[in-house]
Amino acid sequence: MKTFRTDEVETNALNNVNLEINEGEFVAIMGPSGCGKSTLLNILGLLDNPTSGELFFNDAQVDGYSERQRTNLRKENIGFVFQSFNLIEELTIYENIELPLLYMKVSSSERKKRVNEVLDRMKIAHRTKHFPQQLSGGQQQRAAIARAVITNPKLILADEPTGNLDSANGEEVMNLLTQLNEAGTTIVMVTHSPSDADRSHRIIQLFDGHIVTENMRQKL
Amino acid sequence: MLKIFLNTVFRKLYLQKGYSLINILGLATGITCSLLILLWVEYELSFDSFHDNKSQIYSVYENQTYADGEIFTVYATPAPLAIKLKEDISEIDKATRISRTWGKLMLTIGGSTFIEGSGLCVDTDFFKMFSFSVLLGDPNLVMPDERSIVITEKMSKKYFGETNPLGKVISINSNINYHVSAVLKDSPKNSSLYFDYLLPFNFIKENWSFNLNNWDSHAFLTLIQVKKKTYIPGLETIIKPYIKQNLEQSNADLALQPFTDYHLHSISGKKLSPILYVRIFSLVAFIILLIACFNYMNLSTARSERRAREVAVRKVVGAHKRGLFALFMAESIFISLLAFGLAIVSVELLLPFFKELTQRDLSLKFSDTTLLLSFAAIVLFTGFISGSYPALYLSSFKPIRILKGKLYSDSHLFRKLMVIIQFTISVGLIISTSIIYKQLDYLQDKDVGYQKDNIIYIEMMDDFHEHYSHLKENLIKIPGVLKVTAANQMPINFSNSTSDVSWKGKSTDADNTLFQLSFVDYDFIETFEMEVIHGRAFSSKQGGDSLKLIINEAAASAMKMSYTIGQKVKIWEYDCEVIGIVKDFNFNSLQVGVKPLIMLIISDEFKYIAIKTDGNEQPIINKIGETWKKCYPKIPFSHRLLRDDFSYLYKAESRMSSIFIAFTLIAIIISSLGLFGLSSYIIEQKFKEMGIRKVFGAEFQHLFKSFLIRFLRWILLANLIAWPTTYFLMQWWLAGFAYRIHISWFEFLGAGLLSILIAFITVFYQTYKISSITPIKAIRYE
Repeated sequence: MKTFRTDEVETNALNNVNLEINEGEFVAIMGPSGCGKSTLLNILGLLDNPTSGELFFNDAQVDGYSERQRTNLRKENIGFVFQSFNLIEELTIYENIELPLLYMKVSSSERKKRVNEVLDRMKIAHRTKHFPQQLSGGQQQRAAIARAVITNPKLILADEPTGNLDSANGEEVMNLLTQLNEAGTTIVMVTHSPSDADRSHRIIQLFDGHIVTENMRQKL
Repeated sequence: MLKIFLNTVFRKLYLQKGYSLINILGLATGITCSLLILLWVEYELSFDSFHDNKSQIYSVYENQTYADGEIFTVYATPAPLAIKLKEDISEIDKATRISRTWGKLMLTIGGSTFIEGSGLCVDTDFFKMFSFSVLLGDPNLVMPDERSIVITEKMSKKYFGETNPLGKVISINSNINYHVSAVLKDSPKNSSLYFDYLLPFNFIKENWSFNLNNWDSHAFLTLIQVKKKTYIPGLETIIKPYIKQNLEQSNADLALQPFTDYHLHSISGKKLSPILYVRIFSLVAFIILLIACFNYMNLSTARSERRAREVAVRKVVGAHKRGLFALFMAESIFISLLAFGLAIVSVELLLPFFKELTQRDLSLKFSDTTLLLSFAAIVLFTGFISGSYPALYLSSFKPIRILKGKLYSDSHLFRKLMVIIQFTISVGLIISTSIIYKQLDYLQDKDVGYQKDNIIYIEMMDDFHEHYSHLKENLIKIPGVLKVTAANQMPINFSNSTSDVSWKGKSTDADNTLFQLSFVDYDFIETFEMEVIHGRAFSSKQGGDSLKLIINEAAASAMKMSYTIGQKVKIWEYDCEVIGIVKDFNFNSLQVGVKPLIMLIISDEFKYIAIKTDGNEQPIINKIGETWKKCYPKIPFSHRLLRDDFSYLYKAESRMSSIFIAFTLIAIIISSLGLFGLSSYIIEQKFKEMGIRKVFGAEFQHLFKSFLIRFLRWILLANLIAWPTTYFLMQWWLAGFAYRIHISWFEFLGAGLLSILIAFITVFYQTYKISSITPIKAIRYE
């Protein structure tokens, strides 16, 4: 359960959510605005703590983890992709992508190798010295995905990754995510788009903090 | 409309209580300091401005040129000058000589004797030139004859109580009787001419048999009043050679100084002008106010994101940029008005302490229009300066961008500039405060070359010389008294000098060398523990040392006879012989330095008895008082301590430095607070970036490091600007002192480290505060 409190109001953002996600799965979370999609994603990503309940990651119970433990677990295992990209404006594309490696204390030669590799894979190698605002939305989101995958995470959490993109760019981003999943990365994606959700193995419908349906799709 | 405005402003102030408090308190502190300084500056500038004829009155002063090309600038002029100028030059309407009475006078009123110090001898034009109000007596004939004395209200009350003093007799030095001819209102505190009583100028001739026709004796203040209110271009040229015209061999040229400059402008280029302090303090006041405004700007812009939505909504529903700008300006002027109200209260509360500190009779006069106008100017200035940037910044927000959640469109340049300017000012203030403090401390503690502790001295009245040896015999018997001596002046301020000195082999270019002349008794050298480096001190054995000289090193080098004891030297008509050389000691303010000095024994000139004690002062003073009573039952005993007089020499400086240090400390505190606010602002703006970094694995130390590096770059730049600027400013200030400290790298490094420390604490606190928030708060965009 996740409860938000302000001075006067107590809101249960998530209530009685029971969910298991397997390694290698591609899960889409859908539902109307305010149903708790992003809250769920943030809890899965250890960015937020549940008010009550249990959370396991790789069979380890993590809901009682300290800030430091969560940071460590996060930086080694989880990559994030956001609707608004969340690239740091003062850093170049190269530096943005390199950022997680810096915090993992990866050597500079290794960083260079890995950043260049992923830049090639995301087809933005020609944009390395540019700043985020100089890039198109699609390019920015590819850079954000590059940043998410640079640490080879087991899990990628994507919060409406195509929400700010036109259909062609959205399509391209979805292709990238699908490829990553096919290569073995677990993906959990919040989306409003049924066509994006079609790429997943399982669709979870949330309403007012509850899971209303879980559709297992054919592809599994 | 006004009601709505006030309503929203108060609601905003209330909703952001902490922020409003910091903002208003910060501004109020700044305004309080500026107001206090403003009051002081206004007071200093008001000196002598109460005279109706102030724009027509000038002081005549001398530039005396000496052998080494040195120019000695003094107000001391010959006695006949004033009358001669008035006679000869048609533009000059009135003229007066002014002289302080030479030492204290003994006044006998109704059979009782009192000692009074603050008397002036003046010519009758004095009363027509200066606007001292006449309370009793004929305003047109204040000093009708040579036997008139004019007293102040204070003195009248003191000696005559409520009775009418006009016509009453005051006998001076028990030989001449004067009649009170008028009572003047006490001279205002902001008057350079300060007195308790006025005597006819001729008193100097009558009492001290001084030749008032002598052009070669420079001793009196000459003040003239010209006919026209406007400056007379040729006048100074006409006056310049006046002494030389009357005394061929003179080395003095005359010059004019407007009387209104008398208090604040030093005529000598070598001495620090008090106007310098007025300027420095005005600058400090301005800087403090500016820093306070900067703080306001920073804090309001820092809070701007909270107001961004307000701006956007106002714009969407039809507000124009200009209207919004006016609204925000009105808000900040209103806040500065609140701060000003608070400041007025604090000024009233602090004024007694500030008066004590400045030794000035300051007050907040709301009837003073200049003051009221300055107040209005301060409120508008503060409100305008502090409101301008936030108003401009806020009103130019693009509503669509804000409603979409995008905010920061400005270039950050302004903000960086603010941090750098503020750090530069802080660093500069820290360095200069510590240097000024060290210099003044150094002057107070510098070894002046003679003993100034444990010395009590007594000023003697005119006819006491004959009793001196008797008194000395009795004084030396008092237990604890180590030495007793006499002299015409005390070493703290030697003022007698002559250039009429000749010696064998004297070159013509040494003709105008000025020698300080001191007439001392045996034991003088020993009492003041001066160091004899060649020859010997005066000795009463072997028939005494009359016409024997002891000179200082500076005089020896001026005479080019550093090792020659027994040299013959002629002073005036006396043939003398050098018997000793003493190590240079400082007999003037340390601002001036050491001048050539000749000491010889002429007992007729003695004016002071100096008594060296073993340090157990109070009982000894009591004993001296008893001895005095026995010898002179009619004359009140009064004494001084040399140590106190020495401190008094630096009183102006030390007072200035305490004020300066107090205000710079406040400036530094306000500035540090501002930096704190500013860094909060910058870090708050980086809130989202920090969130992103945290999502991707950044921990506290990473974030701290990245901010610290950013701030350190700016601080380094600020130090680079502040160091050389302050260095040159301080060099310039120190150049005004003959004895000065060397500026060491320590102050600079210290200030640098302090600024880093401030940054470190601020960044640490802010990073800690912000990094404990879960990152999703920062990156949430819905």
